Amino acid sequence: MKNNKKQKIFGKKTYFLFTIIPVLLYTFFYVVSVVNGVRYSFTDWDGLSQQMNFVGFKNYLLLLRNPNFWNSMKTTVCYSLMLVIGVIVTSLVLAISLNSLRIFKTLMKSIFFVPAMIGGVTIALIWDQLYYRVIPVIGQTLGIDWLSQSLLMTGKTALPAVVFVQIWQAVAMPTVIFIAGLQQIPDELYESAKMDGATAFQRFRYITMPCLLPTVTVNLVLVIKQGFTSFDFPYALTGGGPVRSTEVIGILIYNDAFKNMRFSVANAEACILFVIVAIFSITQLKLTSKGGVNG
Amino acid sequence: MKQGKAELGWRILRNAVLFGGLVLILFPLYLVLINSFKSLEEAGRNFFALPSGLNLDNYKELFTNSNYWIFLKNSFKITVISLILILILVPSVSYAIARNFERPYYKGIYYYLLMGLFIPSQVILLPVTKMMSKLNMLNHEGLIILYAAFSLTQGVFLFVNYIRGLPYEIEESAQIDGCSVFQTYTKIVLPLVKPMISTLLIMDALWIWNDFMLPLLILNRTQDIWTLPLFQYNFKTEYSFNYTMAFTAYLLAMLPMLIIYCMGQKYIIKGLTAGSVKG
Repeated sequence: MKNNKKQKIFGKKTYFLFTIIPVLLYTFFYVVSVVNGVRYSFTDWDGLSQQMNFVGFKNYLLLLRNPNFWNSMKTTVCYSLMLVIGVIVTSLVLAISLNSLRIFKTLMKSIFFVPAMIGGVTIALIWDQLYYRVIPVIGQTLGIDWLSQSLLMTGKTALPAVVFVQIWQAVAMPTVIFIAGLQQIPDELYESAKMDGATAFQRFRYITMPCLLPTVTVNLVLVIKQGFTSFDFPYALTGGGPVRSTEVIGILIYNDAFKNMRFSVANAEACILFVIVAIFSITQLKLTSKGGVNG
Repeated sequence: MKQGKAELGWRILRNAVLFGGLVLILFPLYLVLINSFKSLEEAGRNFFALPSGLNLDNYKELFTNSNYWIFLKNSFKITVISLILILILVPSVSYAIARNFERPYYKGIYYYLLMGLFIPSQVILLPVTKMMSKLNMLNHEGLIILYAAFSLTQGVFLFVNYIRGLPYEIEESAQIDGCSVFQTYTKIVLPLVKPMISTLLIMDALWIWNDFMLPLLILNRTQDIWTLPLFQYNFKTEYSFNYTMAFTAYLLAMLPMLIIYCMGQKYIIKGLTAGSVKG
């Protein structure tokens, strides 16, 4: 009896010990950094000097009047929209196609998943070469003007070109998630619909779509976050250029912090991104808890 | 009859889509592979054709004259040590939280750790760089600690939900038989959460191995502490004209992950799917 009690108290101690290091690590390196970031955004610190003065909302007010900031926000929204539409549509088409294969299904799935294994920088640098050496050749042979030079060089085509490279990688994950979702739909549904004379399109519209809706939400969240926080691809492909046409918010923050010596302004930009992502995440959390997603 | 025609049409369309996708994925990788075996002069003459012979000059040059081995070793060391730390920390803290969820302290730290889900990485990256520089930790050790700290949010989220779904009876009977909490954890709980452990390992290994932003901020100062992604990025400027050499470097950077993928692609796909559906 006494032994048991002792064990219980000792057990509580073990549980508590399990939490100490993680909580300390997280507090010191994560939470303190977030607090510091918010704090810096209210100062005029350039990141290096000894001086740091509290300036209130000045950085935020300056940002709201800064056309470069609005341009970057617009670019980020365009980037995310193109990424989301590109990835969701492509991965849905691929998943349905792959799932209906009878032979080579596993092999094909593995090949389509390869891009998820390769790092963003590697992919970006490979495509940088392809845009420079391969695409213009194709453009010239086909006689298409805008394809005859590197797409990354002109302002109009640079953004879609960067998004395309990220889509190339980002499609892999949603595709296999969609396949997992498709496999959960019972075959009997399709069979009885077939017997009732439903066409392929009707089966897709009235069985596949509604059953797949929770999976769509999961993928949407995944891709929208990738879009808003994108950095590797534009940084390695264009560095934000030409003429700021690919300067998404991630690039703007990095450049302001480490190149333009506007460290506190960069923190204010990050805080605005924080608010946007937080609002989005909370809305999404409410939506999914209503929809009841299950993997 | 009509149905049959539609079915055939759909099949042709599907195969065309899949074939197009295959080309789009494999053709760039094919170009990287074949051009890594060519001299610059040969690639200029014939970029798309197979190499005339197995020309290993690029590989020799990279292995001897660049620090490829050092960067590979750095990436490997950082990934492995971070993963070991994550494996020690994440399941144990999740177990403590999951089995004491009715207590305010444990519930509190659960939501405290989960806050990270709402915070984009950009918010932390600038201040954490300043902090690490002040602490004199712009080195491998600093980077490893950051990976361990930053992996907690998603890891704990995945594990707590998983452990709470496990039946409690086995642990209870083990404790009645005299197992301490620590023994119950190592002997009963850890084997039960094996599927989640492989998911966590795969997710974090891919993230850490391929990560660019944190090494860029923490390690960019001195060349010999670079990781492979940093090496490749900086290679872009250094060898901007010698692109067959660049292709060789990209190929060598992808290779370790692709080899691991070939060995366990089934588990890797399964693990990553489980992680992102629940996370």
